[in-house]
Amino acid sequence: MSDFFTETLYDPLGQSFRIDKLYYEQKTEHQHLMIFHNAFLGRVMTLDGVVQTTERDEFIYHEMMAHVPMFAHGNAKKVLIIGGGDGGMLREALRHKNVEQVTMVEIDGAVIEMSKQWLPNHSQGAFDDPRANIVIADGMDFVRETEMRFDVIISDSTDPIGPGEVLFSNDFYAQCKRILNPGGVMVTQNGVPFFQVDEVRNTAIRMSASFSDQTFYSAAVPTYYGGIMTFAWGSDESTLRTIDLDSLQQRYQQAGIETRYYTPEIHRASFALPRYVDIAIAEAKA
Amino acid sequence: MTQRAIRYGATEDEKALYLDLVKKHGSPLLVISREKLLQQYNTLKQQLPGVALYYAIKAFPYPAIIEILDKAGACFDVASAGEIDLLQAQHISGRRTIHTHPIKKDAEIRAALRGGSTTFVVDNIDELKKLLPYRQRIGVLLRVSFRSETTQIDLSRKFGCSPDSVIELVEQASALGAHIRGLSFHVGSQSTLPKAHVEAIERCSQIINDAAAINPNPMDILDIGGGFPVSYNFEDMDNEAYFTPIREAIKQYVPDGIRVIAEPGRYLIAPAVTAISSVSGKAKRGDYQWYYLDDGVYGSYSGQIFDHACYPLQILNDEAQREVAILAGPTCDSIDIIAEDIELPKLEEGDLVIGHMMGAYTYATSTQFNSLSGASIIVI
Ligand SMILES: Cc1ncc(COP(=O)(O)O)c(C=O)c1O
Repeated sequence: MSDFFTETLYDPLGQSFRIDKLYYEQKTEHQHLMIFHNAFLGRVMTLDGVVQTTERDEFIYHEMMAHVPMFAHGNAKKVLIIGGGDGGMLREALRHKNVEQVTMVEIDGAVIEMSKQWLPNHSQGAFDDPRANIVIADGMDFVRETEMRFDVIISDSTDPIGPGEVLFSNDFYAQCKRILNPGGVMVTQNGVPFFQVDEVRNTAIRMSASFSDQTFYSAAVPTYYGGIMTFAWGSDESTLRTIDLDSLQQRYQQAGIETRYYTPEIHRASFALPRYVDIAIAEAKA
Repeated sequence: MTQRAIRYGATEDEKALYLDLVKKHGSPLLVISREKLLQQYNTLKQQLPGVALYYAIKAFPYPAIIEILDKAGACFDVASAGEIDLLQAQHISGRRTIHTHPIKKDAEIRAALRGGSTTFVVDNIDELKKLLPYRQRIGVLLRVSFRSETTQIDLSRKFGCSPDSVIELVEQASALGAHIRGLSFHVGSQSTLPKAHVEAIERCSQIINDAAAINPNPMDILDIGGGFPVSYNFEDMDNEAYFTPIREAIKQYVPDGIRVIAEPGRYLIAPAVTAISSVSGKAKRGDYQWYYLDDGVYGSYSGQIFDHACYPLQILNDEAQREVAILAGPTCDSIDIIAEDIELPKLEEGDLVIGHMMGAYTYATSTQFNSLSGASIIVI
């Protein structure tokens, strides 16, 4: 009989995945990692008892986190990804032909190597793209020290309980603002508000200390169960958020990117939030 | 101070076993018996049917022990990130743990969550507040204090809220959005009479009933802790006499729908470990014959200091002629004495001294004082 992996995210409940074949398991200094096959989801990567990504639904997460800020910006040449060791975000960002360079800062080089080997469908060769600039470093140190400047910053972190805690700090957002070009935007993954509404509250407070236009957009990623997840949005250019549908459609068509979840309509709609999330944000900022 | 139990002589089988182990692995040794460990586990399961057993790793934090109990179906009581690491190394899910340390740094809470340990114990409002940032992910047990005169190690002075304050804490917790899943207590270690558990079970059951009226979510756990005793004098413990009242208290008092769990440490592991040390040297000082062993109170016998234990000793030689002797440990410190004023037959360098019931809080609290590497641990 096959083993099951049961998530340990929440005390009163947890989803289980059948492990049809275990490809890889490692406890590194930073984290406990597993990659296995599930008949429905394909390859599944877990970290510290929490599902990180699956082959079946990763497109939703990666498309929404890369294309929403990049199409809103419209002319991103320099993109920074913090985390994202599996290469999925790099893949989506590099699909924008006009991008000159995507810098990806991953704390653990072993995650990249392991992903290339065991999750090749995530990166699909993106690590070999000449426009990819891979840096193995602590994301916080990088944003504090770099002289580079970016049009779009994407923080593809673990949840704030994990080693990515600093990527949810005031200081991180302030440093990101420092290294954004005028008219730039940063986005971060921000958890499932149905279970973790405090994460929305905290980010709303901390990110709006650095950005005049701070909000969230959302998408439902099935294996991050609990309904929609939120992505935090921070910019000093409020027109990026309110960009009209026509402009988005034009950019989308020009880019010629074949997407499976993202559409200009979804893009616009994703900024509409459920009322309980709106209320939490309003209360936090009050 | 408890009277020291000494057994003189050994069966041929015992002698052969000990000598063979020392020949193979050297001395000093701590010998873990898989069979005895499983026997203790199975006895406790039988005596407390339906009670989920969470081995208190602190009693003897060692991979082989965790592995044996894991295979037998046990869950685990963890009190630190290090203990969670021990479980993770063996791919044991945090789902099968509770984190029982009532006082925690934030870093400790986060490490536990990363390890998948999501049920926490607290005993006061300040500690509860530390859990609030994680309130949507966790369940909380409130530790209640019951002082007892019949335990060797009182654990209700340092930890636990008074039974009278539980309702108020449950109210505060629910106002703050944290879910109190149940109550826990620890009557103290080596609790020699079942009365302590029986009274605590009765009182906690009442509190659980009282709390039902104000707790928005029903409680689902009563954790009756550890404390189950073992015999340190070569007599077999009367399990039936000890556990029957506890079993009956659970049946009689615990409300329906409450899952009872326990955190045994000593009971499971103490009888499963035997220390073998040997005489490294001797001296006649005044009226006393001193024997210096290769293990002592800074090593495997540390429980004589920290755990107030007095381990039953066995000398393989059963010669009737004995003299007053002192068994001392290998370090330079004068406190390093295992036993004084005991009658021993003449021992020679290399003779073995066997310590029984040496599983609980022995290796766990041993030190590297004098840069001694300590006993090797083997599993038979
Ligand atoms: C919280 C807790 N649980 C369980 C135990 C194990 O107790 P025992 O070895 O008496 O069974 C202890 C011992 O200190 C403890 O503190």
